[in-house]
Amino acid sequence: MARIEVKSEITGTVWQLKAKPGDKVEGGDTLIVIESMKMEIPVITEDGGTVTEILVKEKDPVSEGQVVAIIEE
Amino acid sequence: MCRVFSLISVPSGAKFFDLDLIRKHNMAHEALLQEYEARRARALAGGGEEKYARRTAKGVWNARQRIDYLMDPGSFIESGLFGSSAVYPEMENETQTDGKLAGFGRIDGRDVCLVVNDFTVKGASTSATNSKKIGHMKRTAIERGMPLVLIGESTGARLPDAMGSRGMGLLLGNDNTQFRRLREVPTAAAAFGPSFGSSTWLMCQSDFAIMHKSAIMAVSSPGLVSMALGEKVSAEELGGWRLHAEVTGLIDQFADTEEEVFDQIRKFLSYMPSHHREAPADVPVPAGSGADMAKVFDILPESRTQVYDMKRVIKCIVDKDSLFEMKPRFGKSAVTALARLGGKSVGIIANNPLHRGGALDADACRKIVDFIVMCDSFNIPFVMLVDTPGFQIGTEAERAGAPGKIMNFMNAMTLVTVPHISVIVRKSYGRAYVCMGGGRHSDEVGAWPSAEVSFMSPDFATKIVHGVGHGEPGFEEALADIRKGADVWGLAAVYAAQSVIRPQDTRDYLIRMLDVYKLRMSKGVGQHLMRSWPTSY
Repeated sequence: MARIEVKSEITGTVWQLKAKPGDKVEGGDTLIVIESMKMEIPVITEDGGTVTEILVKEKDPVSEGQVVAIIEE
Repeated sequence: MCRVFSLISVPSGAKFFDLDLIRKHNMAHEALLQEYEARRARALAGGGEEKYARRTAKGVWNARQRIDYLMDPGSFIESGLFGSSAVYPEMENETQTDGKLAGFGRIDGRDVCLVVNDFTVKGASTSATNSKKIGHMKRTAIERGMPLVLIGESTGARLPDAMGSRGMGLLLGNDNTQFRRLREVPTAAAAFGPSFGSSTWLMCQSDFAIMHKSAIMAVSSPGLVSMALGEKVSAEELGGWRLHAEVTGLIDQFADTEEEVFDQIRKFLSYMPSHHREAPADVPVPAGSGADMAKVFDILPESRTQVYDMKRVIKCIVDKDSLFEMKPRFGKSAVTALARLGGKSVGIIANNPLHRGGALDADACRKIVDFIVMCDSFNIPFVMLVDTPGFQIGTEAERAGAPGKIMNFMNAMTLVTVPHISVIVRKSYGRAYVCMGGGRHSDEVGAWPSAEVSFMSPDFATKIVHGVGHGEPGFEEALADIRKGADVWGLAAVYAAQSVIRPQDTRDYLIRMLDVYKLRMSKGVGQHLMRSWPTSY
């Protein structure tokens, strides 16, 4: 079981959480939506697995490269 | 010749046909052939049955299995089967082939030069004889115009061969073309298992580098790192596939299985010419190509604050099932892919709003430049599909040296000599407008009616030009005014877009325009002004 850190690609504010711990996800799924540059930018997992942690909540500021979720492959 | 010699050398007075002597020579031939077969069998046995069996039990292919899978059946002819250690002749039996198999063969009917490391022989470590093999394969590939394929799996330099000043002087640096890269023939490389030293270097110097997920690519092993630095690091962290696919961008693809590695190499080569002085071969257009064009405009959300996956747009436009993406997990706000349009090889460079809204960061710039250099060096026309709010701004971008990467991108675009067409799908702002083919940085600019071109996003421009921000009185009117000035018609009016096209016509437009701009006078061959562009720059 590989532990995979999912990072925000961009600095912005958490707008929506699309996944919660325990959810099964596939590569390409959106976990979180960040508002940045007047756009809704998804945080997408490249790998499938089970979400074990969501490390942010709505309206939290996030910075580029910040780990926002953990997935167990 | 030997038989003739035996007849004319009989002592005077002897019978003219000395049958005993002839029999003796025949037996010598038999002995020679027996020795040949015995030596051949030992060479083919590589590191020995036991080592091969251990790999097979773990599901790891042996070097000759890899050759058999990649090459057209029966086409491989080996060069250097009887090679062994040049440094320690007494180790002949432990250094069969000297650990790297070289030769010529065909892939899909086309001749290639090949080197496949045999890890069972001294960990396929690099020494004198096998370096000569690699050198000869590279030289022959370049001089005779054949793709070069390098399959790595190696512990690095062989020790003690390269130890000490004598070892260094003998083994390192004596061929100054060893790492010269002038992009004369397409080079594909793969890494399996431990791929330290030369296997890592050759991946970095190749036009297509694919990593099996078992592979580790690094300057040195975790053991040496631990000894020298006291840094405890796993092999995966030091040089695993995720690091290179997502962070360093040194590989173009990764694969779960042995088959997939070689299938991808074969597919990559199918888009390429055999060498830089010819155009890639055309293939028949698959049935169903372009069938989804009627729906392509529906992929764009009507709200400009929402994003979409540009790969869906690309898949509609290119020939069916022809999309072959490079570096899919690196610099993801850009897509770089080989594909075909109307049966002809084409490069696709696109912004992908799904990531960073399409903003180009330093990694995305580097990825695009790598791809432009490859396309231009191998006479592959390319298409740019534009939807970018500009270059990534912010402290992270500056720390990554974004201005330097942006200027590399700009410089590369001024040196392109293959046909290249730019299509503005939605946003094209600022300096990125020029880098993505704006003005005369492409042969032809087409734009969708949804195109929006300006120095910056209308939202931010409204604040700067009119001094009003979101929610303040007069903002909406001022924004509408700024946005109107950014629509496609201004670009078309001043002939900065040569065509405004219906989105559903994009495929036909591109096929026609790539034909219009083809290099008639040089039979499709460009000038290769970037052929010595530094690796991974």
